[in-house]
Amino acid sequence: MKWTLAIAIFAATIVLVIISWFQSGAIERRRISSADTPDEAVRLLLSRVKSHNWDAAYAQLANSSYVDKDNFIHTFSGDDGSLRTYASLENYDVWPLHSNGRLATVRTKLHYSTAVGPLDDVRDIQVEHEGDAWKVLWSTAALPKLAPQVIPVNYLRWDVINRGAADDWGVQNVDSPRVRIVSMNAVQRPDRIVIVGEIVNEDTVPAYVDVNATLLHADGSAITQENSFDKISHILLPKQVSPYRVDFPGYRLTQIKSVRMDAKSMLVPASADPVIEVTGQKLQKDALGKMVLSGDLVNESGAIVNIPHVLASYYDSNGKVIWVSDGYVDQALLPQTPVSFAVDLPDDIASQAHTYHVVVNSFVNQAS
Amino acid sequence: MRTVITWLLCSLAAAMPATAAELHAPKDIAAGTDFSITVNGDSHGTFYLIGPATAEKRSVENGSEISIPGTDIEKAGNYQAILCSDECVSTEFYVHAAEADRLSLLVHPSRVPVATTNAISAVAIALDRFHNIVFSHAQVDFSVNSNNGSSASHAQPTNRGIAWIRLTSAAKASSAKISAAVGDTTETRVVEQVASEACNLHIKSYWEANHLVVQTDPVRDCSGNNVPDGTVVSFTKTDRSGKTTVDAPIKKGIAKAEMPVVGNARISVASGVVLGNELNVGGAR
Amino acid sequence: MKRSLRLLLAVAVLFVASGYSAAQSSPSVEFNAANAGPRSVEDLTSQTVPRDYAFAWQNLSQALDENRPGLLDAYFTGFAKSSLEQRIKQQAQSGLHVRYTDHGHKLNVLFYSPNGDLMQIEDDAQLEMQILDGGKVIQSQPLHVRFMVLMTPGADRWMVRDLESTPAPRSGE
Repeated sequence: MKWTLAIAIFAATIVLVIISWFQSGAIERRRISSADTPDEAVRLLLSRVKSHNWDAAYAQLANSSYVDKDNFIHTFSGDDGSLRTYASLENYDVWPLHSNGRLATVRTKLHYSTAVGPLDDVRDIQVEHEGDAWKVLWSTAALPKLAPQVIPVNYLRWDVINRGAADDWGVQNVDSPRVRIVSMNAVQRPDRIVIVGEIVNEDTVPAYVDVNATLLHADGSAITQENSFDKISHILLPKQVSPYRVDFPGYRLTQIKSVRMDAKSMLVPASADPVIEVTGQKLQKDALGKMVLSGDLVNESGAIVNIPHVLASYYDSNGKVIWVSDGYVDQALLPQTPVSFAVDLPDDIASQAHTYHVVVNSFVNQAS
Repeated sequence: MRTVITWLLCSLAAAMPATAAELHAPKDIAAGTDFSITVNGDSHGTFYLIGPATAEKRSVENGSEISIPGTDIEKAGNYQAILCSDECVSTEFYVHAAEADRLSLLVHPSRVPVATTNAISAVAIALDRFHNIVFSHAQVDFSVNSNNGSSASHAQPTNRGIAWIRLTSAAKASSAKISAAVGDTTETRVVEQVASEACNLHIKSYWEANHLVVQTDPVRDCSGNNVPDGTVVSFTKTDRSGKTTVDAPIKKGIAKAEMPVVGNARISVASGVVLGNELNVGGAR
Repeated sequence: MKRSLRLLLAVAVLFVASGYSAAQSSPSVEFNAANAGPRSVEDLTSQTVPRDYAFAWQNLSQALDENRPGLLDAYFTGFAKSSLEQRIKQQAQSGLHVRYTDHGHKLNVLFYSPNGDLMQIEDDAQLEMQILDGGKVIQSQPLHVRFMVLMTPGADRWMVRDLESTPAPRSGE
C-alpha cells in the first residue's frame, strides 16, 4: 500500500513535468532549434519570450548590438505599471507576408491574457537570413523619454464627507449626483441583444455611475437583467457624457417587449485630472482587414496614466447612437507622449457610422 | 360570649366572596412624568407594565397606590397595567408625548440649480425630548438666509406632528441656510444653490508655438453665475489628420485645450447637452 | 411497527411546522394612498410599502413572542427599532413574552414628502394580544389599535422608523 502510493505520486510528478515542458514551448524550441524559415525564426523567438527566457530570445536577434536589452524585454513584459505588466503571452499566430530570400516580413498576432481579459497585439516582424539560418531583425524604435521639466497642473479635486453613522436621521446627507440617460438604442446582433446609449452627469459634482438594463415581457415582468460592467466611464465629472453598452448574449429582440433602464449614481471623491487628448481619430481598416477606429492618446498632465481604457460611441446620420466599442491600451501613457490605440467595430455598423465620439478612462496606480 | 362573637365574625368573613382589586390610571399622562395607579382592594401580588418600550414585572405589597416612575413611560402610546395575585386585573392607559422640544428637519436637495421653482422642500417633524412625535398642534417657524444677505421666514402649524414648505431657489448662486424652529429649538440645514447649465458657450483660439490653443470665454449660466470649476467642456477639432477630442475641465472659470492643426480645421465645443459656437482656423504657423 | 411510528412522527413534525409557519405568515394589509400628499404615491411604492409593512409586522410578532430583537433589523430602524429592542430586552429579563394574532391592517397614507423620503401612515389594526409570564397567560384580549407610522425608504425596501399607537379607538371596539 505504501509503495503503491509512492509510485502513484512519482508517476503524477513525471506527468506534470511533461505537461509543463510541453506548455513552456520547449518541444517547439527543440523542433526549431535552428530556424530554417522566416516564420520558424519568429516562432522560436516568441516561444522563448513566452517562457521568459529573455537571454536566449535576445541572443536570437540579428541586430542585438543595436537593441537595448531592457527595451526589448519591456516590449513584452511592459513597464510603468501598464496593463502589459499584468499580462502574460498565452499564444501566438505567425504567417509569412513576403520574402526575397535574404529579408522577409512575418506577421504575428500575439494573444495575451490580462487582468481585464484577452488582449491581441498584431506586429509585423522583419527577419534576416544570416549564415544558414534566419534571425529576427528587431525594430529598434527607442522607448520615448521625456525631458526633465515641470508641467504645471491646477489641481482640482472633490472630497466627500458623508453623514456619520451616529448622526440623527434628520441630519442632512449630501445628495447623490443627478445623472440622466440621454439616449438608448437596442441593437440586434447575430448572437445577442446589445443596448447602447449615452449618460450625462447633470450635476455640479463628480458621479460614479452604472447603468442597468432589464429586458421585459409584454406583461412587464422581467426576463433578465445585466449591467454595463466596464463598458462605461464610471467616473463622470460635471456635465461629462459617457457612452454605455449592456450585452444580453443569447437573446433576440423578438423575445422582448421593452427594456427598462436604470442609472445609478453615487457621490465619490474624484480628480479633474488627468486630461487625455484623443488625436488623429480615423475609421479605417487595420492590418488584418478589420474595421477599426484608431488614433493617438496624449496625456496632457504630468503624471503617468498606467492603464488607459478607450470607449467609443458611433452615431448614424440622425445622431442616434448605433454602437459602442471599447478597448484597453496595454501601454502606459507618459506625459505628453502619444500612444496609439485602435478599437474595432463590426463592418455592417461601420458602414452606417456617420460620426463617432471617444472618451478615455484612466486608471492611475498611486504607487507608480 | 366573646368567643362566640369572634367565631361568628370569622365565619362571616370566610363566607363573604373575596372582592377583586381594581386598577385606575389617570386620564392624562405625559411621557416621562411620574404617576400612580390607584388600587381599590387588595394590591398584594405581581405587577406588570407593558408598553411600547417597556415590559416590567415587580412584586407589590398591600397599599392603595402603585407608583410608576417617569422613566418607565418615556415612549408615547398605549400601556397595559396588570396586577396578579390569585387572579389578574388590568387597566389600559395612554401616554401622550411631552412638549415639543426638538425637530427632525429634512431638507432636499442639498444642491439645487438657481432659479428653479419649488425645487427645495423642508419637512419638520416635531418631537418631544424622548423622540415621541408630538401630534398636538405646534407652530414651526421656517426661515431662509442666503449668504448674499437675503432672508425670508414663514410660520407653519404642524399637522399630526409634521410641517412642511416648498421654496424656489434664488437667482444667484449661493449657500442658503434653511432653519426650522419650535419653542427654543432650532435646526439648520444648508442648500447649495449652484449655477445652471452653461449659456452662450463661446470659444476663441490663438497660436502658441505650433499648437492652436482653444479656450472658452468665462463659462456662465443664463443668470450670469459662473459654472463651477471642474465642469467638463468637450472640444472637437476636425482636420486632415482626423478628429481630435479633448474633455477639459473648467479651471478658474475657463476651459482650455491645445491642439495640433494640419491644414484647415473646424473646432466645436459642448458642455453636457449644451452646444457652443464653431471656429474655422487655418493651418499651422 | 417501528417504521409506522417513524412515519407518524414525520407527519406530526410536518403538521406542527405547517402550523408554526401559518402563525408566522405575513398579515393582510390594505393600502389606501388616495389621501396622500403633497406627493402622490408611485405605483411601485404603493406595492412595496404594504408588502414591507406586512413583513415588518410578521417580524415584530415573532420578535416579541420569541424575545429575539435581531428579527427587527430587517424592517425597523431609528426610534421604532430602539424602542422595540428595549421592550424585548425587558421582556427577556422579566421572563415575559407577548403573542400577537394579527387579523390585518388598513393603511391610510396621510403624508408623503415632496422628495419621497418620508411617508406618514395611519394603520387601523385588528389584533389579539396575549401576555405570557413564562408559560402562563396573564392577559388575553382583542385589540383594535390605531397606529401612526413613519416609514422611510432604505436601500431596497421601506423601513418602519416610528410606530406609535394613538388613543382612539379603545381596545375591543
